Amino acid sequence: MDHTPAHAAGRRLIQIALELPLARFTVRLAIVLRESVTAVMGPSGSGKTSLLEAVAGLRPRARGRIALDGAVVLDSAAGIRLRPEARRVGFVPQDAGLFPHMTALQNVRFGARGDTRRIDTALDVLELRALLGRDPASLSGGERQRVALARALASNPRLLLLDEPLAALDAALRERILPYLLRIRDQWGVPIIYVTHNVGEAIAVAGELLTLRDGAVEAQGPPLQLLDTASVAQASAGGVENVMRGEVIAHDAAGGITSLRLVGVLPLAIPLVASLAVGAAVTIAIRADDVVLATEPMTSLSARNLFAARVVAIHGSAANAIVRCAPTAGGSAWLVRLTRSAIDALGIAPGRDVWLAVKSHSVRLV
Amino acid sequence: MHVRRSLSVLATLLALAGVARAENVTVFAAASLTDAMKELGATYAAETGKKIDFNFGGSNDLARQIKAGASADIFFSADTAQMDGLVEAGLVAASARRDVLSNTLVFIVPKTSAAQIGGPADLSKFQHIAVANPDAVPAGVYARKYLDGLKLWDGIKGRVVPTTDVRAALAAVADEHADVGIVYRSDAAISPNVKVAFEVPRDQTPPIVYPIAPIAASKQPDVTGVLTYLLSTAALQVYARDGFIVILGR
Amino acid sequence: MSNELGLILFTLRIATLSTALILIPGLAAALLLARYRGPGKGGIETVLSLPLVLPPTAVGILLLEALGRRAPLGGWLAAHGIEIVFTWKAVLLATMVMSFPLFVRSARTAFEEVDPRLVGIARTLGCGAATAFLRITLPLAWRGVVAGAVLAFSRALGEFGATVMIAGNIPGRTQTLALAIFSDNQTGHDDRALRLVAITVVLAFTALWSAEWITRRRTQRVAA
Repeated sequence: MDHTPAHAAGRRLIQIALELPLARFTVRLAIVLRESVTAVMGPSGSGKTSLLEAVAGLRPRARGRIALDGAVVLDSAAGIRLRPEARRVGFVPQDAGLFPHMTALQNVRFGARGDTRRIDTALDVLELRALLGRDPASLSGGERQRVALARALASNPRLLLLDEPLAALDAALRERILPYLLRIRDQWGVPIIYVTHNVGEAIAVAGELLTLRDGAVEAQGPPLQLLDTASVAQASAGGVENVMRGEVIAHDAAGGITSLRLVGVLPLAIPLVASLAVGAAVTIAIRADDVVLATEPMTSLSARNLFAARVVAIHGSAANAIVRCAPTAGGSAWLVRLTRSAIDALGIAPGRDVWLAVKSHSVRLV
Repeated sequence: MHVRRSLSVLATLLALAGVARAENVTVFAAASLTDAMKELGATYAAETGKKIDFNFGGSNDLARQIKAGASADIFFSADTAQMDGLVEAGLVAASARRDVLSNTLVFIVPKTSAAQIGGPADLSKFQHIAVANPDAVPAGVYARKYLDGLKLWDGIKGRVVPTTDVRAALAAVADEHADVGIVYRSDAAISPNVKVAFEVPRDQTPPIVYPIAPIAASKQPDVTGVLTYLLSTAALQVYARDGFIVILGR
Repeated sequence: MSNELGLILFTLRIATLSTALILIPGLAAALLLARYRGPGKGGIETVLSLPLVLPPTAVGILLLEALGRRAPLGGWLAAHGIEIVFTWKAVLLATMVMSFPLFVRSARTAFEEVDPRLVGIARTLGCGAATAFLRITLPLAWRGVVAGAVLAFSRALGEFGATVMIAGNIPGRTQTLALAIFSDNQTGHDDRALRLVAITVVLAFTALWSAEWITRRRTQRVAA
């Protein structure tokens, strides 16, 4: 359950006390963020984008106090309001917002002030070498997001704000920026506030989750502990992913299997991907819907992945619930989506020993 | 139905316009005659109940319009050249023209000006000399010929501001955009904002003659009546009072 | 025909200078109208559009009144020995006033079509407002700006009503092609007038065609 990366560039302190009138309501919140990545969730129109824009300095009507690791960028009482160009807050909007009259490379270079080292690092982390000369209009959605991310990073921000496009669970895997986010979190060291609708990603990436409703904070805490809040439940209705990291152990060409070992020692078999080098780091995602739960050890099952776990908590209400389980072998929590009827029929309750099964085909590489 | 209705409205309007056109006598008169003509037109309407329509401008411009087919019934020009042109074009019968008026040229300055003009040579003191277009408008042509005769034209023509007619030259001086202007004596009296600084001796200018004539093609039944009125004793008194010199009958 | 050449050069010089001088204030006005949403915007829009809607002679008269010795502006100019009326400066003033709203209209539409969020993003990347305008808004709006400048230039080439009122029609000093056509027609030199008309057509055609060429070429490159 541990997601604090080893490098954590010291605990940071972001204080946001904000009042911003919008059409339907006024955003009013006072929060302190201490994690390197904070995910923000909430129903559409709850003020998430306005929050990000206010922190970036793009909302002249925002009032309050915003301090980033001690640097005050807004303090209405003291008459301080730094202009966006002075705040060093990187902002990646939902549609990437690339400058259409510049190539990808020119976009990335835009705010870098000639710092070639930083530009090169950004291009490498986001794997953009092949896209440098392309026009934004010719890039896919995921590619545009990566260019926008690199552009923000190259400007050396002290905070990165990311308004993620709808990361639908069926979106093409190559469009997902999740692996890049993990890389940025672990290698770059810049704190991130990231708006998402993907519960699984929030759990995987963020140390803290903040949910908003009608411009006010509904809940704040470690993502797994917020699974019952209304906003998270709403976002989970579309499905939750289990996102985990691991490394490649071996390939079995005849059997069509590549073996992984997840962080925490749990082995996992996935369909053969011979192109991955042994020892390569991977990120995988398994939908909570695709995990089968049994109250007795399963034998003679076609699923290649079977392991023991213990039920930690049951989240959600009514028809569908998410059962959080901790593998006996160790590692991150697994989320399993079951119907109420299944839970009742099997007598699932916290503390119960269970067995989980996942088909190798249900494991997707991100 | 919309199209049909619009077309019939259009047809009615055109018919009305045609009717309106045929109704009043139209007099094309030199700009310098504006005030006198308007006064006479009002009196004529009061006495006979019939309106006279006027078109004022530089006589060259009016003549051009008539040649192009404008619906004038009477032409009252500020020089003979323009009338000759119409005779040559067959639009006016030579026998029908009468020479009515003459005029005097004056130099005018803004009322607030302290400038003194002892003679035409003093024009060189000024920056902007307002004159009706010296190439075409009678008032300007007269002025140019006068100054040319004294060999002064070349020296001052670089500072001449040619205007479309003599009243425009008057306005330019009245508004103090030009610091001197050459107009008819009859014009100078019109504006309270100018004063005459020099009067050109009549024997030194080319003869200034205002001929009047009916347009041959006019179908207006009332043309003779209006013409007679414009040449009546009462009318001549109005011209004289306005500063014109009456030469009719001489 | 050195007279005609002189007319052409003078007209071109005036039109070019007029367009050049209205660029900066025009861009500022266009930007203001595109972005500002406060009180008084309608009033500003109306005033700036007046020369488009009023008859040019009406504009000419208004300018004459403003430049008259008794008016504040005219009085100040007279006191400092600056002459405008009946000089080439009046021609320039008339063309500037008449072509300004055309330029602003075109540039404004172009600016409005630029996504304002892009400017916000540029700001977060370290650009000041002016730099963001120069590097983002203007390059994205350049086609509309060029179209507006060509419109302004062509309008300046043909400006007559206001010019004849405040500059007079003085051959060799304030006479442009348009004014010369008028006076040639007035004085019966129709053949000369027609020649000047032909020259004007050629000039206008060249201006429009070059603008078309510039904006079109760029599109082809981007598509590839």
